[in-house]
Amino acid sequence: MNNQMLAEWFKLKRNKTFWVILFIVAGLSALLNYLVIIDWWQMGGTPFEQAGLSEFNALSTFTVPLLFNLIVGTLAGFFISNEFSFSGVIKNQILSGSKRSHIYMSKYLIFSIGAIIVTILIPLITAIIEIILLGYGEILNLSNVLYLGRAFGLFALQLLGYTAIILLLAIVTEDSGKTIIFSVLFTIVMLLVDIFPRPALLNAIYENSIFYQFSSVFNYTMTDGEVLKSIVIALMTMIIVCICGIAIFNKKEIK
Amino acid sequence: MSEYILRTHQLSKKYRNTLALADVNLSIKKGEIYGLIGQNGAGKSTLLRIVTGLAFPSSGSIELFGQDDSSMLSTAQKRTGAIIESPALFPNMTAYENVEVYRLQKGIPGRDGIKQTLELVGLGSTAKKKVKNFSLEMKQRLGLAIALLSDPEFLILDEPTNGLDPTGIIELRELIKKLNREKGLTILISSHILSELHQLASRYGIVHKGKILEEISAKELDEKCRQHLRIKVDQPAKGATILESTLSTPDFEVMPDGTIKLYSYLDEIRKVSKALTNSNLVIEHLSQNGDSLESYFSRIVGGDRI
Repeated sequence: MNNQMLAEWFKLKRNKTFWVILFIVAGLSALLNYLVIIDWWQMGGTPFEQAGLSEFNALSTFTVPLLFNLIVGTLAGFFISNEFSFSGVIKNQILSGSKRSHIYMSKYLIFSIGAIIVTILIPLITAIIEIILLGYGEILNLSNVLYLGRAFGLFALQLLGYTAIILLLAIVTEDSGKTIIFSVLFTIVMLLVDIFPRPALLNAIYENSIFYQFSSVFNYTMTDGEVLKSIVIALMTMIIVCICGIAIFNKKEIK
Repeated sequence: MSEYILRTHQLSKKYRNTLALADVNLSIKKGEIYGLIGQNGAGKSTLLRIVTGLAFPSSGSIELFGQDDSSMLSTAQKRTGAIIESPALFPNMTAYENVEVYRLQKGIPGRDGIKQTLELVGLGSTAKKKVKNFSLEMKQRLGLAIALLSDPEFLILDEPTNGLDPTGIIELRELIKKLNREKGLTILISSHILSELHQLASRYGIVHKGKILEEISAKELDEKCRQHLRIKVDQPAKGATILESTLSTPDFEVMPDGTIKLYSYLDEIRKVSKALTNSNLVIEHLSQNGDSLESYFSRIVGGDRI
């Protein structure tokens, strides 16, 4: 599996879409953070404001499911699905004689690392750099750093559950366009579930899903039980979806 | 260790209502160049896709390097190199990077082999060129480089001459012969163009509508296709003597049923007839026989052209 991981990392580093997304996110993040920090754009009601970190308000844009889904879905489409359709290079990977489960998991791990870089690390790093450069560095005290660490750590875990779902979608659709469209549709459905009244059963499912956790993890205060629950939900999603994904991939015929 | 590199047992593949492969039994011995011949859609690629693990059989089994257990098949596949249908390449990467990806996937230590393999297939000078700027022929060569990188013991090539010009076809044929001769590489090569495999394969499998109709060695095929006069006389031994003495030719065979196959005098059938009748032999049958390669295969597959 180590071989497959190295190969996936090599591919990610040379993936044009990954770099385009990375630069767009970096530029967008730098701009939004700047506008928020200089108070040109006054955002309100964000979890960061409630935590007394209004300078980080622009980051809330990147935690909106529709936006990060677009980023993750696009990356999945051009990094994963294209291998099945456009270039067909998945054939070489199967022909290499590696176990399909190893191939699947290496794709999952490297795709997830790529997704975390573009959806979490780049916005967070640009925000921290700008906050320091614009003279607000003192807000990065221990308690705030711990809050940001906990919130984004848990968010990254939920994202790992989400990338598992998107990877599965990308492998099933085998088409970059379909992957992006279906992932957007999927997020819209989750958004509608969030907005509209839910029957008790659906509500119970939703509140114990990563989609609910995406916003909950930014609450300024979370009990140990809530943190544990969040970790369990993310891990369970990851494990269940990956097991399903491997089972599907093991049966999949490569065209 | 098994003398067979590949054996399939009653291998079948069904796609909804279409039977793509039907009870295929095929065996390839170590060191052979096995030519799989069939029309487009005959089932060649389906068979190769199953052998390489890209697809799964509906029934039957495969034995690769003596391993038939599904968990061990992937290990056996590590000893195989293949191009299936068309070379799968990253268009935005260079030739070198494409091979590097495969090197990493296979876990081949060191990068020295990349340059050597690219040079072997004639891409040494274009290693840094992006694949999107490659011609179809260069892509085929790069696909071959990828297949050869791990120094496989068994090479599977599905229609490798697609996109190659006549010179490229000859070069590929020579390379395959060289690999087989010098490295003892066992090769399974498919084509719908018979003439491409002729002079290359040591054994042929004729596949038609998902079935292997015949497996035949190159020698047997040449024998069957060799033009000859078929002579049946009342005294075969005397007939043979007459051919040797009167017509001064040793180029004939007396078959177990007494028929004589004469490989010379093909255009002088009257001269042969006269020589035999002048020696008081009764000619029961005298005709020109032997197929061309194309007509032989055409006859085997029931008149459909190959």
